[in-house]
Amino acid sequence: MPDASHVGRRYRAEGQVIDAERVRAFAASIAGGADLPDLGEVPPTFAAVYCLFPTMGQLFFDTEVGLDLTGLVHGEQEFSFHHPVHIGDVVDATAEIVSVEDKRGRVFLTLALEATRAAGGERVCSGKALLIAPGATS
Amino acid sequence: MNQAPVLTAVAVGDEIPELQRTVEQAQISAYAEAAGDPNPIHIDEELAKAFGFEGTIAHGMLNLAILTEAVARWAGGYDRVASIGVRFSRPLLRGDTIICTGRVVEVDPSSGLVTLELGATSDRGERVLSNGRATVRLSTPS
Repeated sequence: MPDASHVGRRYRAEGQVIDAERVRAFAASIAGGADLPDLGEVPPTFAAVYCLFPTMGQLFFDTEVGLDLTGLVHGEQEFSFHHPVHIGDVVDATAEIVSVEDKRGRVFLTLALEATRAAGGERVCSGKALLIAPGATS
Repeated sequence: MNQAPVLTAVAVGDEIPELQRTVEQAQISAYAEAAGDPNPIHIDEELAKAFGFEGTIAHGMLNLAILTEAVARWAGGYDRVASIGVRFSRPLLRGDTIICTGRVVEVDPSSGLVTLELGATSDRGERVLSNGRATVRLSTPS
């Protein structure tokens, strides 16, 4: 079970390619049956694909942290977009456990997220994810 | 591209156009595949019921993506969205309609940033996304 000793653990997913086909499928899935809006190349929350999921996925399989995936809830999410990403860009993503708190028998784990351009290191996105998992007493 | 509002034409209290979208299972399944989220609670009806839901539920990140679209439509493009964040309050059930709303709470002429308060409810009247906040970059008239 996660505890304060896990603060500072980092998960890195290098070489995330902003792939045209993946972006197209992602944008289409947001629209559902509605018309695709003409708002630009890459929907901002594509950061889920190049930053959140590949790093958070590593946390899920980190047996030393031992997050209980049954009943895990994504509680909050925020992203800041510093520079737009474009089709063909390659970014490196990092997540770091910045806090683990026990609240009312549940574990509140906060990940700080960051994605930088592989070429040059320019920061494209940062953010936070709050995950709420069952604790020892729940 | 949508017409972008200029900063000086935006005032505290302005509301962004409401965006409604009915999220069917096909859309949730498409998002699961495109985003690479394998959690079966979004695609397996029986499993979702075993977890106490009425049926499968949309990904919180899909709900956030739709809310982000509402902001980008008002702001005039994805690249104008500087930040966005929400609390995932209640799940959106497959077949339900998400209703996204937003309101200007701050206009900063020096930075060109406008702050919005955001939220989303379902057509059942449940609060799906709360504590939403976004900042958008708007252009100043030349």
